[in-house]
Amino acid sequence: MILLIAILLGVPAGLLLARWQKHSWVFPPLRVPWLVVLAFLPQLFAFYLPATRARIPDSWVSAGLLSSQILLLVFCWLNRRLSGTWLLALGLTLNLLVIAANGGFMPISPQTASRLVTQEVVQTVPLGSRFGYGKDVLLMPADTHLVWLSDRFLPPEGFPYQVAFSLGDVVIAAGAFWLTAAQGKSLQASFEKNIKEAE
Amino acid sequence: MKTKLFKLSLFTQKINRQHVQVVFALLALVLFVLGAGAPESGGIGPH
Repeated sequence: MILLIAILLGVPAGLLLARWQKHSWVFPPLRVPWLVVLAFLPQLFAFYLPATRARIPDSWVSAGLLSSQILLLVFCWLNRRLSGTWLLALGLTLNLLVIAANGGFMPISPQTASRLVTQEVVQTVPLGSRFGYGKDVLLMPADTHLVWLSDRFLPPEGFPYQVAFSLGDVVIAAGAFWLTAAQGKSLQASFEKNIKEAE
Repeated sequence: MKTKLFKLSLFTQKINRQHVQVVFALLALVLFVLGAGAPESGGIGPH
């Protein structure tokens, strides 16, 4: 959700920026957008569709998640000329590294998980097992590789929407905001152009 | 009249194509962030 909020904030920011720079707003001209749809398909079946996610073995899910994220990295490479894409790629790489280092799932500690569901529910999930039908695996911080990249951040207590997120997620959110706000262009070049025109 | 209709049809086609491209690109970006980042809370909980 925090990632979708970044896009929702980036579009109006881009509209305001375009208005200030006196040109029409355009959505970043993404190359090969179909590659994202293709990359997302394994995750759609593994995490989102109730009819399929309960039937796919965890080993297939982890392989699907890794291959899906590698395809998304290829998409970033093909769109590397768009401003903000490098942040998307960096965040994705951070998530991919910690997922690959922990058996193909994103580690989450029991302490963090207990903020998302009740303590009783967390206790029913054995350590080292996948946490529900999501991308997370329940692991103690001491048993987690690259623990600083895991799902260890939470919104403030009392925030209506509780979800764990990683450092990679924060970087991806920044990249999504930048890409939509700057419309894929270099902000520095746009500012310099505006200053020259003003002079 | 025919020219006007032709221009109008071209304009409509252009608008539709642009809209479709924007919607598809937006969908791609949404799928990207969902695929690259934190899952929605729907999958959280025991199997």
